[in-house]
Order: sequence, then C-alpha cells, then structure tokens
Amino acid sequence: MSTKHAAAARQFILNREQEQWHNETLWMVRQKRDNMAMRIAEWEELRELAGKIKMHTISRLDHYLELFSSEAERNGATVHWAKDANEHNEIVYSILKEHRVKKLVKSKSMLTEECLLNPYLIEQGIEVVESDLGERILQLMGENPSHIVMPAIHRKREEVGKLFEEKMDSEKGNSDPTYLTRIARKYLRNEFLTADAAMTGANFGVAQTGEVVVCTNEGNADMGTSLCRLHIVSMGMEKLVPDLKSLGVFTRLLARSATGQPSTTYTSHYRRPGEGCEMHIVIVDNGRSEIRGNSEHVQTLKCIRCGACMNTCPVYRRSGGYSYTYFIPGPIGINLGMLKCPGKYSDNVSACSLCYSCNNVCPAKINLAEQIYGWRQGLDSIGKADRMKKLMSKGMKFLFSHPALYRNALKMSPAINLLPRFLVYSKLNAWGYGREMPRFAGESFTSMWIKGKVKKTNRK
Amino acid sequence: MSLKNDIIDSVRRHAQAECDMPEISLEAVKYADPVSEFVEISRFVGGDAIILKDGENINTLIRTLYPEAVTVASNMPEISISTCNPDAADDPHNLNGIDLAIVKGEIGVAENGCVWIPQNVKLKALYFIAENLVIILDRNRIVNNMHEAYEYIAGTGYGFGVFISGPSKTADIEQALVIGAHGAKSVTVILS
Ligand code: SF4
Repeated sequence: MSTKHAAAARQFILNREQEQWHNETLWMVRQKRDNMAMRIAEWEELRELAGKIKMHTISRLDHYLELFSSEAERNGATVHWAKDANEHNEIVYSILKEHRVKKLVKSKSMLTEECLLNPYLIEQGIEVVESDLGERILQLMGENPSHIVMPAIHRKREEVGKLFEEKMDSEKGNSDPTYLTRIARKYLRNEFLTADAAMTGANFGVAQTGEVVVCTNEGNADMGTSLCRLHIVSMGMEKLVPDLKSLGVFTRLLARSATGQPSTTYTSHYRRPGEGCEMHIVIVDNGRSEIRGNSEHVQTLKCIRCGACMNTCPVYRRSGGYSYTYFIPGPIGINLGMLKCPGKYSDNVSACSLCYSCNNVCPAKINLAEQIYGWRQGLDSIGKADRMKKLMSKGMKFLFSHPALYRNALKMSPAINLLPRFLVYSKLNAWGYGREMPRFAGESFTSMWIKGKVKKTNRK
Repeated sequence: MSLKNDIIDSVRRHAQAECDMPEISLEAVKYADPVSEFVEISRFVGGDAIILKDGENINTLIRTLYPEAVTVASNMPEISISTCNPDAADDPHNLNGIDLAIVKGEIGVAENGCVWIPQNVKLKALYFIAENLVIILDRNRIVNNMHEAYEYIAGTGYGFGVFISGPSKTADIEQALVIGAHGAKSVTVILS
C-alpha cells in the first residue's frame, strides 16, 4: 500500500529532467537564503526572538486581537470577524456587493486559497483577477499554486509562452522571461486600471498601531490598493505581532528566508484608508483558535509562510508541490493538513525523511519535524497506518525481542544481496518499493567481534 | 455572521500557558560606513544609489540619468525639471503614463537598501505607477538596520508608509529574475 503522496511523486519523477531542475532550482534558493543568513551575525538570535515573540503573541492572542481591532477601527478601518471559510467568503462578497464591484484585483494570499474564495466569488458573478505574475499564470491555466512563495515553480517558460500566445496575444514561440513579463505588465496594468476593488492578504498585523503590513516584490498589492477606493484585507488571526519593534525582527527574516533577498522590494504599511477610500479587514479563525489549545501543534501558528521549509526539504524538492494532498505542501503543509483533517490528509505524513532540515531553516523556529514524527506515531489510532509496514514492524519487533532468532536472521541477511531485484523490490517489501535497499555486509559485526576481526584503532 | 466576541471567546476557550515577551535587545549589524553599504546593497537589489557631489545640481543629475523621460512628476519645490504636479490630480488613474516620479525618502536602511517613504504625496499610486522612480534621501539619515528604522518610525504618525528596496521585480517564470514587474522599472536613490 503506498500513500497518495508516494503515488503522485512517482508520476513527478517520471520526467527526470524536470525533477532535476525542480530539485536544483529550489536548492539554489535555499543557498541564497544561506548566503543572506551568513551575512548577519545575529541571525540565530533573530530566529530565536521571532519564535518567542510569536509564541508570546499566540499565548495572549485574545488580548492582541482586542488591541489590534480597536486600533484598526480607530484608524478608520472596518474590522470583520469570520469563524470559518464560508463566513470569510460571505463577508467579502457582501462588501463587494454593497460597493457594486464587478472586477476585483487580488494580490497573493494563501488564506484566500484556503477559503476557496475565488471560485465562490466567480460563482456570484464577480470577475476575479490574480495580479501576482505566478498566480496569474496559474489562474489562466486553471491550476493551483505548487509552492506558497513561488506558486508556478512547476511550470516551464515554454508553457508560459504558449499560454500568453493564447491569452495575451504574445509573439509566437517567444518564451523569454523578460519578454513575457513585459507582456504581463502591460496586460495587468489594464486590469489594475479597470478594477473596482483590491484585495490583499496580510503578512503581519501590528496590534499596537492597528496597521496591516504587506510584502511583495512585484508591487502588485500596491498597484491595486492605490488605484481602487476599496481595499479588503484577508488576515489570519495568527498574523499579529505586538508592535513595530517586534515587526523589525520579522521584516529582517522574511525575505532572507523566503527568496534569499535582503528585503522584499515593497514592505507596505497600511494604517489609515486614504481620503474617500475604505479599508476592510477580515480577521479569520477557520480552525486557528482550536490549534491554539493544542499544545503539541500550537507552534504551527508561528508560521510566517516564507516557504523556506519547502525549499530545503529533500522530499518536496524531488516530488513537487502537487504530490501533497493539502493545498500547502512541504513540512508546514503536512502539519497544517493534519490539523485540518487527519483522516483526509494523512497521506502526506510519509513525505518526510526526518532529516530535520526544515527545523533548522524555519525563521520562526517551528518544530516541524518533531510534529510530523508525532503524527506518524498516531497514524494507527486513526486507522491510517500502512498495513504492510505495520506487519513488517511487528515482525521486526518479534525478531528484536528474540535474540537467538535475530542472530539467525542476520546470518541470513547477506543472502538478500543475491536475491533478484524483482523479489527485493516487490510490492511485498513496502520499504524496498520506493527506495534503494542497503547492501547487507557479508559478515555481521557480532560474528567479526567474536572471531577477533575487529581491531581497535586509536582515535586522535 | 460571527461577532468579535464569538471569535475571541473561542480563542480564550482554547487556552495556552502564557509565554513571556522576550526582550528585543540584540546587537544588530552595524556598518563602519553605512552610506557606502547602502549604495552597494542598492545595486545588489537591482537599483542604484548615487551620492550627490558638492555643488552638483540635482536637476541636472536626474536629467542625465533619465534623458528620455517626458512626463516628470514631483511635488518637491527644488525639482525644477518636473513637468507636472502629481498633487493636482484627483484620480490616481490619471497618473498612469508618468515616465519618472521624483519623491522624498525619510530614512535609508544600510542592511537591505530600503528607503522609508511615509505618504508625502496626495495619491500614493505615484510611488508604484510611474515607469521610473527617483528617491531623494538625506545621506545623514541612513541607519544600520531595520530595528533602528522602526525605532524612528514608531515615533511618527502616518496613514500609509512603504519601504522600497530597488525596482519592482519578479522571478515567477522559471526563477529567472526580471526587473520591472508592476511597479517602477528602475529606482535611483540620490543621496543629498
Ligand atoms: S514553517 Fe517556518 S519555514 Fe515553513 S513556511 Fe512557515 S515560517 Fe517558513
């Protein structure tokens, strides 16, 4: 029995060239992140602080939510509260309807993906235009993001060129990224100019000042919000930080961790709506308050959605975002999926080699790997353990607790080296299927020890 | 629809032991020469920073940098080459098509090339919609890092403010860096 992740990953690696490109490109982003981190002597201290500030904020979230919302209202924004995705979507639609909005431009927001806002609004007759280039490409292709920061990382330039030929009348056969970006700039400029409302996510909400901070490289969030009179912010309740002083810790970490840039191009602070303009902030729970009470997994609420855990993950790099069944892939997505619905998303917990690399890069110091390990231990209790591996584990447990049998089995193990591949890698060996088996040594350590073949070497 | 209290109640019901707010008192990066660091990093992020020489005319400098700019928008009195006052427009849509906007920055940050601009024009669209952007910044107002920048900012009032570090960019097609996504295609900081 293999998980949905393993099955999808098998499809992904069929295209060796693409797999290698994906792997190497994301690793390059990881290295850029390292270069940035190494330039900052206090990097580890920053991560430590970020984790602690977030934990503090979450532990007093009721207080900070009160503070943020009252300050935001004092600034002239309207604050809405949504307990789940449905409420979020209904609130957004009612604001749009009230303002007779026909076209909405959006900047990238994982929360609106989580709430499935776009299909909902489109069904209500609203034209929704994603304005982040990667998101726009996917929207035109009818696809979902495969990475939370680099949404179209699974698509090649030729595919984008073809798409633009069809949708934006670009030159035939031209897939030069600069050319295609220019075409998209012109095309989306027109969308910005004709939109009635703009929607953004929030990278941070500053409780003390009631302002929302949005970080982009393209400037798409700002184009939308400065041309439209109506700005709707969709913000998960965990996005709060106490004050501007703590915000400084996060703006130093975010872009360096995400893309290896010293800063995003634009770090916009929206405090008061402009003259004659309106700003609405929808604060979304959608399961977050419940996670707060879950001491084993509360740390997932510290996530600032930088994507670093994906870039570093050997499984993500070599299996692609679509191999995961939850809309957020990689280490953080494995955990968030399980928190959303363990019965539905348990296939992803196998997508981890427990290398702990994610723990070491996460700017908020989330214990991602321990959490994944914890989920695996609990799989049996939700009836999702791999039956074949369970059977083999039982067998191993029996062997390990019966020394004589174990020694005998070890004596036999070199024989596996001689077995034909089709037996070792058959579906009966759930571990051999999907990974290379180690070669067993010709003689066991115990037997070598007894025969005096093991020599002590002096370590210096 | 949920009320604020429903949501906050749900937060309270799912209790967490209180964790202390850490002291943010780290020894953050400082530079022997923040101005040259700022110049270097501005170039690294795809922009440029130029130190105005003693006695050099800022208008002449901008002209030589952007000889082809036809519509030049600035509300700064010292900018004589501006062809239109952006504050005269009532509708941000009318700012579309500006070749060059010249604006004032408040604080520069040496560690990442960011310039803090609290909204100092009538329509904030100007910062993003112009094809090219020149930011004029007093070179004595370059701080080392973001902590110092926020320390300054926390004491000021603004309705909207933005840190800009270099020109608008994207790498969404195969991670190939392209300068000029939706915002300015070039950003030059002039250090006066
Ligand atoms: S879990 Fe950490 S590394 Fe992964 S996206 Fe969130 S903040 Fe970034």
